[in-house]
Amino acid sequence: MEKDNFLDTNVIFSYSNYHEQFKDDLPPIVGKCYNFISNKRGRFIVCFAALEELQEIIIKRARIHKIVLDKIQDPNIDFENNSFLSKRDIPRVKKIYEKFKGYKIEVVVNYFKLERRLSELVIQKFLENMTDERVVPIEQIETVIINEINDIITNRADCKILASALQIQKSRDLFIFVTADGKDLSPDIYNSLKEHFEINHKKEGHIFPELLNLMFTD
Amino acid sequence: MVNRKSSEQIKEEILSCLNECPLSIEQIRLKVDSNWSTVNSHLDELARSGKVKELLSNDKAKIYQKILGDTYFDIPITEEERKKFKTLFSLILQEYKLQGKLPKRTCFAKCAVQVIKDESSGLSDLPTIWYLYGMIPQMIADPSLEYFEEVPLKNKQKIKEIIIEFIKNEPESTKKLNQNQHKKYGEELYIVADEIFTVLSKKEWNNSELIELLNKFFIACPIDFDFPEIFDLTEKVFSLIEKLDLLGEKLCEHRKEILLTFDSLWKFIALYKLYQSKIKCKNPMNKEHLLKFYLGNFIESRKTTLKENIAELNTTYLNNLSKFDANKIKLPDEVKEIRKIMEDWSGD
Repeated sequence: MEKDNFLDTNVIFSYSNYHEQFKDDLPPIVGKCYNFISNKRGRFIVCFAALEELQEIIIKRARIHKIVLDKIQDPNIDFENNSFLSKRDIPRVKKIYEKFKGYKIEVVVNYFKLERRLSELVIQKFLENMTDERVVPIEQIETVIINEINDIITNRADCKILASALQIQKSRDLFIFVTADGKDLSPDIYNSLKEHFEINHKKEGHIFPELLNLMFTD
Repeated sequence: MVNRKSSEQIKEEILSCLNECPLSIEQIRLKVDSNWSTVNSHLDELARSGKVKELLSNDKAKIYQKILGDTYFDIPITEEERKKFKTLFSLILQEYKLQGKLPKRTCFAKCAVQVIKDESSGLSDLPTIWYLYGMIPQMIADPSLEYFEEVPLKNKQKIKEIIIEFIKNEPESTKKLNQNQHKKYGEELYIVADEIFTVLSKKEWNNSELIELLNKFFIACPIDFDFPEIFDLTEKVFSLIEKLDLLGEKLCEHRKEILLTFDSLWKFIALYKLYQSKIKCKNPMNKEHLLKFYLGNFIESRKTTLKENIAELNTTYLNNLSKFDANKIKLPDEVKEIRKIMEDWSGD
């Protein structure tokens, strides 16, 4: 029997960027996430923290598009001082702006919109048709576990998702935690986290799901 | 000999110290130089007669606000401004009467704005706000009330000329009047909102008519870190409509849900525009006061209504989702390039 799969936000988001028309020209991780989801083996579990993060990513992307549109209209707008943009966003935002600054705004708004809507539709259809279970409502995530994970992993959203996985893993057969996060959830970091719990929180009896990081697969 | 203040004097002083902003009993007590229980009992009386209302602040202290009833959202104006407004309203009504007419409420308000915004009137210090139908005087202009000339206006003759000119050029419909004003001041968001309402009021329209206007609205929509929900909720509403379009739905068949949702979005945005008018004017109001005492509750209730309407529209969208086939949608290469640039972006 196939193990269940507990999906991280980034797997669903990357999957939403797949399009048959560009299949030979997509970043490898998009193809991997698409293949993993479309060749579904075992049930798909999504936690509410991941759903919440997906919504945040969707709106952040829209804000990025809007900020670029504003800059196309008014080149004096400064990306660096925009409170909506993180330091990691800025190089990408600049690249998009450079690509589209010579275009008519009425045209660019359509490209951006199509990019967002298509990805949103794919995500929604995945959630409606391919997800088997939604688990751990936000208010039921144990803050203690989030904080314990936070000692090793800095991203709070990642901590909430992992905490949700640990919470339900306690009462289930071992499942697979599937991620496409090559930075915060690399196999090394995941092992450090397991060790940290083994040493400091052994009494709590947490069982770590098996990790499948698609960034580190062929 | 100590002169004791009469009950009426204390009440007047209380009302006068509440002119600028709501205050706690302790703050009022210090201003009117009286003890807590006297001030408290007078406030109770004033509340019973509808002159003040009790607000509850975050720290649970009793806070009282003066009920003005003659300004939008009870946002205070000075007594001098009130007198000037009333005088201006009186002059406008006189001119209309001379022409054997009574102005509609919107025409009355817009005429007042026309005068205020004309520098030669000498009234440009009177506060105006942007709200649902465009720019209006902050004091409610009600043509069914009787106004008197309460202060002499230096440029009375010029003011009359502006009013006469306004009446002469007044369009037949208030809708047109609003549209003209939005265009005159170049308020793109209002201009596009007018066009969207025009499309949605028709029985039949093509998807592309609405979709093009949503694009324009999106471009004009403010994105404000202090008020992220203005943009975020606009995006949510538009996302649902645009996805219905991509799913091949005839949008005019969902006219009712779309109209209700856009209308509630507009009411929410209009409050934000009002907020902006008050914090970016010549004498800006304190942002926190404005939200805490005057607009906060209204913003929250409009947001709730909007979210309810979004939920309705979302149901329509979900009911049609099964029609979706990503590969049927042809994407321009530019979309591929955007995805390439954003390839390892995950919103962190």
